Amino acid sequence: MPSTSRRAVFTGLGVFSPVGSGAEAFWQALRAGACGVHTVRSFDASALACHVAGEVADFDAKKVVPKEHKKRLNQMGRAVQLGLCAAYRAWEDAKGPQKGQIDPFRYGVEFACMMVATELEDLARASKVSLNGTPGSVNMAVWGRDGLRDIPPQWMLKYLPNMPACHTSILVDAQGPNNSITSGDVAGLLALGEAYRAMNRDLADAFLVGGCESKINPLSFTRHNTFQPLTRRNDIPEQALRPFDADRDGTVLGEGAAAVSLESLDFAKGRGAAILAELVGFAAGFDRGRKGPVLAGVIRNALKEAGIQPSDVDHVNAGASGSKELDAFEARAIAEVFGDSIPVYAARPHFGSMGAASGLVELTASILALRHGELPGTLNHEKPDPACPIQVHTGAPRSVTKPYVVKLSYTDMGQCAAVVVRKWDE
Amino acid sequence: MSRRRVVITGMGVVTPLGHSVGEMFANVVEGKSGVDRITHFDAATFPTTFAAEVKGFDLGRFVKDATRFAKCGLNTRFALAASKQALEDANLLGGAGVDRTRFGVYLGSGEGQEDFRTVICGTGAAATADGLKINPPVFIRTALEYLDPPREQQLEMHTSAGHLAEEFDLCGPNFTCLTACAASAQAIGEAVEMIRFGDADLMLTGGSHSMIHPFGVTGFNLLTALSQRNATPQKASRPFDLTRDGFVLGEGAGMLVLEEYEHAKGRGAPIYAELTGYGTTGDAYRMTDPHPEGRGAVMAMRHALKDAGLAPVDVGYINAHGTSTHANDEAETAAIKASLGPEVAYKTPVSSSKSMLGHLIAAGGAVELIISVLAMRKDVLPPTINYETPDPKCDLDYVPNAAREKTGVRHVLSNSFGFGGQNITLIASRV
Repeated sequence: MPSTSRRAVFTGLGVFSPVGSGAEAFWQALRAGACGVHTVRSFDASALACHVAGEVADFDAKKVVPKEHKKRLNQMGRAVQLGLCAAYRAWEDAKGPQKGQIDPFRYGVEFACMMVATELEDLARASKVSLNGTPGSVNMAVWGRDGLRDIPPQWMLKYLPNMPACHTSILVDAQGPNNSITSGDVAGLLALGEAYRAMNRDLADAFLVGGCESKINPLSFTRHNTFQPLTRRNDIPEQALRPFDADRDGTVLGEGAAAVSLESLDFAKGRGAAILAELVGFAAGFDRGRKGPVLAGVIRNALKEAGIQPSDVDHVNAGASGSKELDAFEARAIAEVFGDSIPVYAARPHFGSMGAASGLVELTASILALRHGELPGTLNHEKPDPACPIQVHTGAPRSVTKPYVVKLSYTDMGQCAAVVVRKWDE
Repeated sequence: MSRRRVVITGMGVVTPLGHSVGEMFANVVEGKSGVDRITHFDAATFPTTFAAEVKGFDLGRFVKDATRFAKCGLNTRFALAASKQALEDANLLGGAGVDRTRFGVYLGSGEGQEDFRTVICGTGAAATADGLKINPPVFIRTALEYLDPPREQQLEMHTSAGHLAEEFDLCGPNFTCLTACAASAQAIGEAVEMIRFGDADLMLTGGSHSMIHPFGVTGFNLLTALSQRNATPQKASRPFDLTRDGFVLGEGAGMLVLEEYEHAKGRGAPIYAELTGYGTTGDAYRMTDPHPEGRGAVMAMRHALKDAGLAPVDVGYINAHGTSTHANDEAETAAIKASLGPEVAYKTPVSSSKSMLGHLIAAGGAVELIISVLAMRKDVLPPTINYETPDPKCDLDYVPNAAREKTGVRHVLSNSFGFGGQNITLIASRV
């Protein structure tokens, strides 16, 4: 790596999750072993084979964003609102940078977000008039002529994946690089890594990096039930997502968002920002066939960039989806690099798989662990699985004893990424 | 420490004007239009009834056993075909002795096509009598009847780049972005940066998209962004012309192999151009309207020039974003003048390939970069067709209606701007 690489630090956190919103509430919930996975409450999903999920209760974007931006909220789908609110909270937490403190072209926004599902209400009238009586067919002539008139003009814009980054840039007047990564469960770490590289290369002084996702709506939740291996533990939802446990039976979907304020070290110091932790390594790859060696190589590359050995790492914060195949894949890679004794932590059983939001929500848990000097126990890991030869940290919180954590994310196809974060003690 | 240089060693396309780089460029130089009536679905009563569709596409010509990808969206299928061409062009098929973990993918890609029939039938059945609300259990029951699980899985947005990595054994960093109409240009720019920084030696990058489906045309028609010149579709995409009335949807893919310069030289790869400049900004202004003075676009072009170490006068050709909407073409013209300085801007030829190919949305930037590189290599600038009535606010040299020979172009600049405010400028240079 270039030796002139600039350092980057975390200066603010924003999180909306099924176990609490705001870094402090989120941390207390993790520590207390709270679980936000329930029978779906926002609509009647009982007809679906899996009908449990992690939902963000009482989310009201109007209570978060400043007054002059509220009128734009009705142009945003739920995931977009969650993302914007997380970014705004991260900016508040970092106390800026305020206008005048930063060249707007040196302030970037990077989001992880997927195409947001259409709200069916927006299409209800148009759909109703366009059914032509034959089951399973749509009268296109009626849709084109009459249906379109019944759909809100800005319908499409509520759902585009680049909208969280667009609205965030308007909110804080960030006119620098602005990208939106749509790589599913690995998107959050990729977005963070890309912002980190922009900082490394001196293209920006600060970034808001966010991830957001909400699949807990009739369309997305039905779609995912058709193809994703989801748990059948509908009767005991709080025990449903079981990372690396021999009895795991699939993942649980969750919704939420997290964002971080990432600044170059010099810039953060210059404006007197409080520093939470340092980002010191990033790597990504594609593990064809999800066997483990490429993910292991990705972890090694991230450690190498950080200039550390596996023995310097306090814990690995795993993606841990609770899927039979994918947990074994991740565990093999962790074991290959770290052996079987490093503490592995998974935050996901508390709130479910949040897709593009997962990486940053879960990373927030480890940044808070470094700050508080203790790591909560992983929920729902009870029976070790020989296919997952790692040591999952469970039970009471343990003291953080080393200054580095490694966070992993991956997708069901094999996209994978690792970041290394260092405790801030300067 | 000098920075790692990045060169283009392979290119491939699937477009409304041809399924190879050579065929497409020949048609573009002839000023042909790829626009016609929509055939993908019955659009007869839509406000817009035409688009630039890819015709006669056969994935089986490009990959063994195309049935494996039968459930994939068109975006994935186009990307596979264009990638195969690019890799073949770069002599990189069949292992080729490169470190697969140093070979990544960065795709600017649209979504797969949402299952229109399922969504509408489910929603229509579940709508309450007043049509204001829906009954979720009814929706779920109806949707489960029609949804095709493997197809739903292939709608997930990470799958396109995943298939490219699987099919061509690319184990380096694997990214997908979707920043609307800027996506593939942004993917290419970020891929350049990954090679420069050392995260990879090779990147398969570009974009792929089709929005010529009922939801896509519905969405853009509702925004009144599309041309409605239904009587004369081939005349509809008329960038910078006073009578322009919106953009024309296109579809397709453009893929490039980017490679670290010494790596490319070392293996004797063909070198088409060097990617020397990348500029990236956000408007922070509005969701769809560009900033009226093109504030972010000006800075994207300036950043790209600075990145390439060039003066405005060094740029021999600009491939404009040039969508044929009133707002874009006026703001982009102003931005080109502001970033290059009016004197240089008036002397620099600018054309819009969208006049012929339509707007390939997420794939547009990649295809247009490929056209820019070919213009430089073949000493011919593609035209802006349908340019008939000058607009006083658009007063640059748009290479109207006929291609123009121009030798000695050493640097070309390509703009891509997205709904949502992303502004991307790429500069390619002769090696």
